[in-house]
Amino acid sequence: MTSEIPDIKTGHTAKCIRCERVIYNNSACHPSAMLALCLSALIISVPAFNQPLISLHLLSITEDTNLIQGALMMIDIAPIVSFVVLFCAVIAPTMLIISIAISSACLTFQYKPSFLPKIFKITRHLIHWSMLEVYMVSLMVAMFKLMNYADLYIGFGFYFFIALLLLNMMIISNYSNHQYWEKYNNL
Amino acid sequence: MKKVAIPGVSGKKQGLHVCSTCGNYSEHQTHISLCPICDNQIYLRKKNSLQKTWALLITAIIFIIPANVYPITYLLKNNILYPDTIFSGIISLVDSDMIGIAIIVFVASILVPILKIFALIFILLAVQLRWRLSATKQLLIFTFVDWIGRWSILDLFVISIMVAVFDKGNLLSVYPGIAATSFTIVVITTLFAAHSFDTRLIWDAQTLTDTQNNNIQER
Repeated sequence: MTSEIPDIKTGHTAKCIRCERVIYNNSACHPSAMLALCLSALIISVPAFNQPLISLHLLSITEDTNLIQGALMMIDIAPIVSFVVLFCAVIAPTMLIISIAISSACLTFQYKPSFLPKIFKITRHLIHWSMLEVYMVSLMVAMFKLMNYADLYIGFGFYFFIALLLLNMMIISNYSNHQYWEKYNNL
Repeated sequence: MKKVAIPGVSGKKQGLHVCSTCGNYSEHQTHISLCPICDNQIYLRKKNSLQKTWALLITAIIFIIPANVYPITYLLKNNILYPDTIFSGIISLVDSDMIGIAIIVFVASILVPILKIFALIFILLAVQLRWRLSATKQLLIFTFVDWIGRWSILDLFVISIMVAVFDKGNLLSVYPGIAATSFTIVVITTLFAAHSFDTRLIWDAQTLTDTQNNNIQER
């Protein structure tokens, strides 16, 4: 159904007249602000992914667990599971942030490369596959399960992971593909 | 020349199609398959949407059986292998007084996949057989199912954490079983099924029945 998009104030959204889905999001977030958010998310993602999320004290040995290690350890037994976990928890969120960072950087510095449409397309598909919030809940579930077996300590990477999750959510909620397109066309 | 869209009339009736990548509309012509503005693929409706969704759903239905029957994880404790299916894992959580966690795992790994498959089958049948149902309610079901579907991946993440934590050789280790792979396929196929479904088909089915009814009344 065709809907007319009225002039809307920043921070407001336009919805479809038929199904009431948001079709236009006049986000207050400027590409330069998005670039800043993306860059900080990228910096934080390094310790969030390779620092221990939880440490377990079991059989008098303390074992650290980080996000990437968890996925890679099953690669021989269950490669599909391993790949999906790695993709949804690490590859998709990182690539999503990188692609938004590239498009934001191009818009901020008034640079119009021909590959940008492809980046927009990648971004649109990756948004569905970034599942950091699901990982967070899984981590909670795993922690409750593990409490029965051994002493559990929250690792250094856990705090970085929460920060990454918050930044990621902020980026996704403020990103609008159509708005970026308009800006790209106006360059 | 660019056609100006009339609000309140569907794009299909006006011969316009919208690009899913850049969000700009353009005139629909049979020989054009790329968006004139961004050069990405453009279509009136997703191609073979119903067939693709059906195919993916059938795959999911096939794989949901081994996912629930076979063990999803093996616990190796003092050289003895303890298999655990999805359901027995939930039972053991209930036994150890973790009702809240048990409910989360139950919802994410049993309820959501089954609910999602049934809801998608229902919507597909409604579209194909042109059942006269509220389109907004169908979309509401679809949006809910689409949103909740991603949460079924939770169990896989939990397994990956468990495998990494319990790595003590023959003393205490956790291994993923056949069901873990089957379950992954179920999750992925249902996610793709929801993506390949074009929600506008719901309204297309409704308007088609409307015009058919009008024709009958005119006669």
